Parts: sequence; structure tokens; C-alpha cells
Amino acid sequence: MSVLSIDKLSKNYRSIKALDNVSFTVPSQTVFGILGPNGSGKTTLLGIIMDILKASSGSYNWNGQQSTNEVRKKIGTLLETPNFYHYMNAEDNLLIAARIKGRGEGDIEKVLRIVNLYERRKSKFSTYSLGMKQRLAIASTLLGDPDILVFDEPTNGLDPAGIAEIRELIKQLNRQGKTIIMASHILDEVEKVCTHVAIIQKGVMKTYGSVQDVLHPSGVQASKVQIEIAAADTDKLRTILQGMPGVESVTAAEQELLILCDESVSAEQVNKYCFEQGVILNKLQVKRKSLETRFLEITGKQSDR
Amino acid sequence: MTDLLKIEWIKLRKYIVFKLMAIFFAVGVVALNYIVYTVNKNIVNNVPGAGLVSFSPYDFKNTWQSTSYATGFILILPSLLLMLLFTNEYTYKTHRQNIIDGLSRRQFISVKIAMAFIFALVSTVLVFFTALGFGFASGTTFSFHGVVFVAYFFLKALSYNMVAVLFSVLIRRTGFATGVFFIYTGAENIISQLLNVLCIKIKREDGTDLGNIGDYLPMNASDSLLAFPDNPIKNLSKAIMPTDYTWIAFSLALFYLVVFYLWSRWKFLKADL
Repeated sequence: MSVLSIDKLSKNYRSIKALDNVSFTVPSQTVFGILGPNGSGKTTLLGIIMDILKASSGSYNWNGQQSTNEVRKKIGTLLETPNFYHYMNAEDNLLIAARIKGRGEGDIEKVLRIVNLYERRKSKFSTYSLGMKQRLAIASTLLGDPDILVFDEPTNGLDPAGIAEIRELIKQLNRQGKTIIMASHILDEVEKVCTHVAIIQKGVMKTYGSVQDVLHPSGVQASKVQIEIAAADTDKLRTILQGMPGVESVTAAEQELLILCDESVSAEQVNKYCFEQGVILNKLQVKRKSLETRFLEITGKQSDR
Repeated sequence: MTDLLKIEWIKLRKYIVFKLMAIFFAVGVVALNYIVYTVNKNIVNNVPGAGLVSFSPYDFKNTWQSTSYATGFILILPSLLLMLLFTNEYTYKTHRQNIIDGLSRRQFISVKIAMAFIFALVSTVLVFFTALGFGFASGTTFSFHGVVFVAYFFLKALSYNMVAVLFSVLIRRTGFATGVFFIYTGAENIISQLLNVLCIKIKREDGTDLGNIGDYLPMNASDSLLAFPDNPIKNLSKAIMPTDYTWIAFSLALFYLVVFYLWSRWKFLKADL
């Protein structure tokens, strides 16, 4: 069952193709990331499915129904920037959103508490910091407990603690059975939060599918495991690792070593092996295929962007 | 629509500019008419010979027309407020958010047009009571003679407000939109005056009476329905002036309203927001 299906959507601004024949479907109860560099068309895409931009061609539907404002009332959306009335406080701003949705008026206190803005509920929006504005926008999307949430760069402007909180919130919402569609230009964020991803570049859909399939496809390269490893005596560590079965290469990276080995090699084995050889590790981190590398493979290098 | 208007009210009630403008306009209407009322009274009483052209604009036979006409000079205030409210939505992108949250585009533009209507209605009610007050203050007997001018005032107020809505939708940016609004109003007046002078010339030279063509322009059509009441001085000049074709101005005013309405609606429904 798909929540959103997009069919050959295009959007032209004069000669510029902001979106070119984009099609994909968002399965129910997933966290669906739309990943792409700045200016790749992510916000344009979300703008079209929210009816604030008009597509040049193509169509989309929500839950198999044609999109209407009634459908939008049941979706919580944060698009591009937090949009609120500057002269009004958080409560009144949320009241307007709730009235428009026709639901969630009783949720105002609850959602303000979720994003830690309850204490500042009476302050004017114009007095808020960027992070607070962003959190208020997220609070607004939660009004009426919608089953579908759309977030455009949800962690924009937040401090590290705020970023972690919002990511946790997104995962938690997903565990409650909600579908989340999220645009981001941060690879790491998509990998940490999303179950599915669509990669878009210059308005063209490059690929989409589950995060596992897209970012870690099976193949020769992907069957290798990359491990970051460090110990007090780097030289000795290098020597013993070069002798370990399954290890294909050892390269130095600042104070640590990067080893590429067979999929069969586990962190546990490496740890045990080093310990037995008399080296105590102070860092051991398994990296799957580098996200950056995979992303560049899909989108091409800088020069053809 | 009631629910939508209630939402607009939440936006309005905390907006300090709204409160200021509302008070300023209400006080302005009374004050402006009071000035006209007092000045006229003093001239009639104190200037020798003025009695010959004796004329009381706030007697009940004139008060509806005089008040409607005089108030027209500050009618730009409610339309400016309307424009601020609308273009602020664009500035803060709240128009987008309203639609994202579940208003249809049609609902959004409809409620703005409804606001234009309500502002016009409230201004008209204010004019009605002001006219009534000054009518009684003049010590004359109550009469509805010429009350049609209050209806014309409503038409004029609605025209101004709809121009404000149209300019907001077309221009979006607060400063630019209000600037263009002022310049356009001024420019149209100048062009209108020039055209009217041309009409006088044509009438004098070959007797063809086209009426005041300048009054047929979009904002002047409803303006021209309201003039200061007939008075001895005005009557003297009538012989050389072209005829006022009220019915043409009236029909055109209605026609322009429909254009403003359809154009702003069409634009908002079709554009990228």
C-alpha cells in the first residue's frame, strides 16, 4: 500500500527544468528520505504535492486519491522554512493551524511540550531563535496526530542536541506506524533516520528504494567491510593487522588505521585477534561502504553536477 | 465561510497596525466631516455676502451625500490595511502554510475577498451613522433623501478594497504593492482630469457631449458617483461642463469590480505561491 505516488512530475521555470519526469511511490509506514544537493528540486517536489506550486506536467496522489485540501488537513507538513505570523505567540500561531486543519486544537499544549517550547508559548514568534522557530514548525506538524508527516530539512538550524531529539522523534513517530517523508541534503541524516530513500539531482530522479538497496547495494565492492581501528602503538597494530586472515589492505588515516576486509570478518574477530597479539585497541568502528562514495557514484562527481 | 472568517479574526486581533488603523479611521471619518461642517457653518455666518450662496451640506437633504463624499478622501486607509494584511502573508509565507495546513486556494482567496467586502461594509456603516449624527446636529428634520449616495460610497469602498486585493495578489511585496497602489491612484486621477478637460474642449468646440470620459477609468468610475452636493457655485459651472452620465459610471464601476474579482481569483488559483 503506497501513501504517495508520484507519476512523471515535471516543473519548468522558463528554460530551467527544476523537476524532470520524476516518478516514485512512498510505501506506507516508512521513513522516506528525499536526498539531494542544494537546489536539486527537493523543495519544488514537496511544494507541488502540497499544492503551493503548480506542476508543468505529471500527477500525484495521496493514498490513491486525488489530492484535495481535505487530504492535506490530515498531513503534517514543514516546508522549507517555519512560516508563522511574527506578531503572534506560539499558542495563537498553532491555534490558526489547528483551526485550518479542523482538528488538534486540544493538542496545542501537548505538542509544545514535545518540542520543549511550552515555557515560551506566550512569547511572540519574532522573538524566537532559528532553532525555536524550527521546533515550533515541527510542533505544528504534530497537531491532530496525522498519519503522514512531511519534513523539509527538519534539523535545519538546530543545535546538536536538538538534531538528535528531532531524529529520535522521527523514528518514534515511525514506530507508531506513521509514514514520514523527509527531504534532506545530509547523507548521514538519511542513513540514520530513513528506511527508504530517493536520490534526486538537478531535478532528475537518480534512483530510489530501501536505504539498504540504494546505499549498500550487493556487489563486489559492497561485500567488503571497512573498519576504522586505532591503538596506542599504531606501527605494531599495522604489522599484526597485515598478517590477519581476511584483511585485504591497511591504510593509515591520521592517528588511526583503515582496514578493508572480507564481509566474513567481524569486529569481534578483529578485537580478539589484536588482543591475542598483545595490542589493546582504543578504537574499533565498522563502516559499511562509505556513504559519500556511494552518493558520488550515483550523482556523479562535482564536475558533472 | 464563518470558520474561515474566525481564523482571519485570530490574525487580526493581535495585529497592532489593525487596531491603530481602525481607531485612526473611525476618528478620521468623524473629524473630517466635523471640519467640513464647521468651516461651512463659519463661512455662512461670518463672511459678508456668503449668505447669497447659502448652502448647508449637513442638512438632511445633503448629509448622506456630503458625508459619503468627504469620507472618500480617507477611504484609502482601510484598503491600505487590507493590503498590509494580505502582503504580510506573502512576506511571512503564511499563505503557503495556510494552504499546506489544509485551506484550498479557493478558500484562501475567497476569505480575503470577503474581508474586502466586510471592510467596505463596516466603513459604510460608519459613514451612515456619521451622516445621521451630523444631520441631527444641523437641526433639520430626518429624511432619507439622497441616501443612495451611501450605497455609492459602499461601491467605492469595495472598489478600493478590491484594487488592494488585486495589487496584493499581483505584486506580493508590501512596500512595492502599497507604492504602486499610491502611484496608480495618483496617475489615474491625473489622466482622468486630463481626459475631462478634453471633454470640456470637445463640448465647447462642436457641442458633442461625451460625458466625463475620465470618470470611466477603473478607480474613478466609483469615485465619480460621489461628488459634493449641488450648491450655487457648482450650479454656475454646470452650463459649460459635460453631462455626468451616472448610469455609465455606475455600470462601469460594477464591471470593474467583476474584473478585479475574477482577475485576483484567477491569479491566485493558477500561480505558484
